[in-house]
Amino acid sequence: MSDLDFSVEKALKAADGYEQAEAYASEAVIHTVYIDGTRISNVETKRESGLMVRVADGGRQGKASVVLSGDMSVPECVRMAETVLRYSPVGKETQRYAQPGQARIAAPDVWDKSVEGVTPEQLRDIARRLIDSCGVDIPRAQIRVSTNVSRVMNSNGVDVGHRSTLVYGHFTSMFRGDHPGEGAEKFHGTHLDVPVEKIGASLARQAKDSASAKGFEGHENMSMILPPGQLGEMLLTSVGASINGQSVKYGTSLWKDSVGIEVASKEVTMVDDPTVASPLACAFDDEGTPTERRPVIEDGVLKGFLRDTFCGESTGNGMRRSSEEAMGAYERTPVVKPLNLSVKPGRYTREQIIEQTDRGILVERFANPEADELSGRFGLNVRCGYVIRNGEVVGVVDNSLLMGNMIEALKAVEMIGSDPVMTGVIRVPTMSFSGTELVGN
Amino acid sequence: MMESVSLKSDAAQDVLHAAVDRMTELGAEFADARSQTVRVLGASTVNGDLKQLVQRSTGGVCLRAWSGGRWGYGTVTSFDRESVLRAAEEAAANAKGDGIPGLELEPSVGRGDHRAKVRIHPDSVDLDEKIAAAMDLDRAQVIDDRIINRSGAYSEEVKTNTLVNSAGSDLTWEEVRTICRAMSIAADGQRMEQYYDGPDSTLGFEVVRDADLEAIGRTAASEAIVTLSADRPPSGAMTVISDPMVSGLLAHEAMGHASEGDEITKKRSFLTGAVGRKVASDIVTMYDDGTVPGAHGSIQFDDEGTPASRVAIIDHGEYKGYMHSLETASRLGATPTGNGRAENSGKRVWVRMTNTFFGPGEWDKDELIADTKEGILCDKMLNGMEDPVGGCFEAKCLRGYLVKNGEIVKPVQSFTLTGKSIDILSSVDALSKEVVLDGGMCGKGIEDWVRVSTGGPYMRARMIVGGGQ
Repeated sequence: MSDLDFSVEKALKAADGYEQAEAYASEAVIHTVYIDGTRISNVETKRESGLMVRVADGGRQGKASVVLSGDMSVPECVRMAETVLRYSPVGKETQRYAQPGQARIAAPDVWDKSVEGVTPEQLRDIARRLIDSCGVDIPRAQIRVSTNVSRVMNSNGVDVGHRSTLVYGHFTSMFRGDHPGEGAEKFHGTHLDVPVEKIGASLARQAKDSASAKGFEGHENMSMILPPGQLGEMLLTSVGASINGQSVKYGTSLWKDSVGIEVASKEVTMVDDPTVASPLACAFDDEGTPTERRPVIEDGVLKGFLRDTFCGESTGNGMRRSSEEAMGAYERTPVVKPLNLSVKPGRYTREQIIEQTDRGILVERFANPEADELSGRFGLNVRCGYVIRNGEVVGVVDNSLLMGNMIEALKAVEMIGSDPVMTGVIRVPTMSFSGTELVGN
Repeated sequence: MMESVSLKSDAAQDVLHAAVDRMTELGAEFADARSQTVRVLGASTVNGDLKQLVQRSTGGVCLRAWSGGRWGYGTVTSFDRESVLRAAEEAAANAKGDGIPGLELEPSVGRGDHRAKVRIHPDSVDLDEKIAAAMDLDRAQVIDDRIINRSGAYSEEVKTNTLVNSAGSDLTWEEVRTICRAMSIAADGQRMEQYYDGPDSTLGFEVVRDADLEAIGRTAASEAIVTLSADRPPSGAMTVISDPMVSGLLAHEAMGHASEGDEITKKRSFLTGAVGRKVASDIVTMYDDGTVPGAHGSIQFDDEGTPASRVAIIDHGEYKGYMHSLETASRLGATPTGNGRAENSGKRVWVRMTNTFFGPGEWDKDELIADTKEGILCDKMLNGMEDPVGGCFEAKCLRGYLVKNGEIVKPVQSFTLTGKSIDILSSVDALSKEVVLDGGMCGKGIEDWVRVSTGGPYMRARMIVGGGQ
């Protein structure tokens, strides 16, 4: 029996006697290589294991987490959770922990043996290939590969183990000159198949293009074309919040009364699909509830929400793990997360979308792509955007603000691309929307 | 009540010394070992019900080996001798490879046991009172049926660091942070708006006992309701009066990140080579100061054991210099400034800010507004993003007010500010006497979060403004 298995079983046994008890432990080994100033600067090896215990009794709740660092860690964690429970006031409702259930999907392919045995020299080699293939400076980049093993048990009889590998990269580039340009790329995956040369080429192109950018002058209504990396973040903060069962429970979801109603253009279909290999794909969530492929929007109509046990009637979306970082899973309380929210691809290439756009901007990179959770509003600094007139790119802009509303934009979809890319927990293609405004100096 | 633990453990010190010795034996020119324990307690409510009550006890050991101008890291969450020594060996191995020869670090040699300077240590306060604080913040928001979601939160963090290095440091220090927050969401059937309020600090439980929790909760609720009637803000280049929170965000995003020494060694910052250059109007002065008593970003020592210091970044419009870690100070021939910080024992040390703020001016806030013909007054920030390469920034504001002919006319919804940092700071023509700091979290790029504060006076300048509908 591994240390992790021993700790979970010991913790659940120690918490016996409460109405409900749950023990979750995770163990991660993480290797990271950093590039700073176009040279390999640091290599890290990290090891972490920890435990969270939750207990509930008579409407009271207790919760505690510790790193597993010796024989006393498990009793310390249980004692801390018990202390918290004793002080906890009686709540208005009781959260029911996960019930045991049969798997509804086959276990996705999320374990790469080559990650398990990766060496610092292999990581250095990937970093060197990136530097060689890029052709412009790489001021800052990191490639992080991790193994993550976890197990959750509860007093209802849940006993679920999970293991996955995680490969994450964040890369920046810089083209020097009087007006320097910058590029950025991310990689999310479960296998050590980082497309290094493709990333390097993209970083070089972005940096050179943004070096030629000029500030936008004036104010103009135009279409917005978002590639997968930017669109994914925008959808997670707007749609992700609206389909979150906790937001629905607390009345803060914009779509809380919209099931069965058209919330998007008819071309839009979204499904949360944990069957496809992706960072959070799993047959059971981190509370032990079985997952499944779940329609969220079908032909523009909202089909339902994602929930954990806190929301009730869990859909298997109670997650502690992160899609980017294997560290710290044990210390996070489960929250509702999509496992792999996928937008059904369309039929257009990015070039065709540009050709069919009269007045628009294709945003290569925002400073920080996000929309307001409560309203869908956004006003975002464009770091690099391609201005389109009559189907052609006529210039590159930076240092301007693109304004709109992401929830409203979903009802104004013009075209959907055929190029889906996974970025963390979301897989989207390039899409274009009408009704946004660009403002500059 | 959480148990109090002694800061120092002789057994733990011995393991750290052994780890440093092992890295040195394996060829490290310099090595350090830092253990960290972090105890967190959080209580949060939603709509009068306790939603979260959690205690966390985490920590680990970070081993660093410096060899040939590069770091190798090994980190582990287990404190046992065998695990720590294995991590030390991994750190030494990770430091091998191509580097920059000839770089010598100048670490501080620190000793002693430095407790946090707090009046009421959170460990001495009963858990009941902490839960009550969160509940009180929640209850105070019950003022109007349009408040559809109320939350109150109390959190404390007690962090103990021990650092041993090959230069002779043997240092232990404690950091305590106490935070309260009330957050209201108001709805009128058409839209939802939010507002928040509450103190943060490197102080103890006195933060809660000295605060008027009732007033904090009521403010969050009443201001969320005010925002329901806010209009869409105008867009384009215009006069902006940033409040202390947004001024702080500008200090942090527009100039702060670009003044981090590692951005200079990489020549990634638009401020590379800018020392002595005019970058702002004469009335603008800016600091990063880790020694501000009680401020959320204050530290006794950074994660390399260098004492915190006050770094002048802009002095009367002239650019003065950079913040440094051991490595960047070595590479730029400067003195370490106590800005080498890591999110936790599992993360690497970077050059990071502490408390970053603009200095005061000579105006009263009301005079400043009365003197403004047309513009927008900011009220609280949401978040921001730096742009060291392009010399721009993004600052998102929670809401604001239109100002016309010297008077506040009406509230406006959330909006974003942007522009060229130097152009904006050069356009500053008025600063208030009042300077306020506000705490938050700072990521470098997209992760590695550390606790900081930002602040400044009310500040008038020209910027680009825009907000969605």
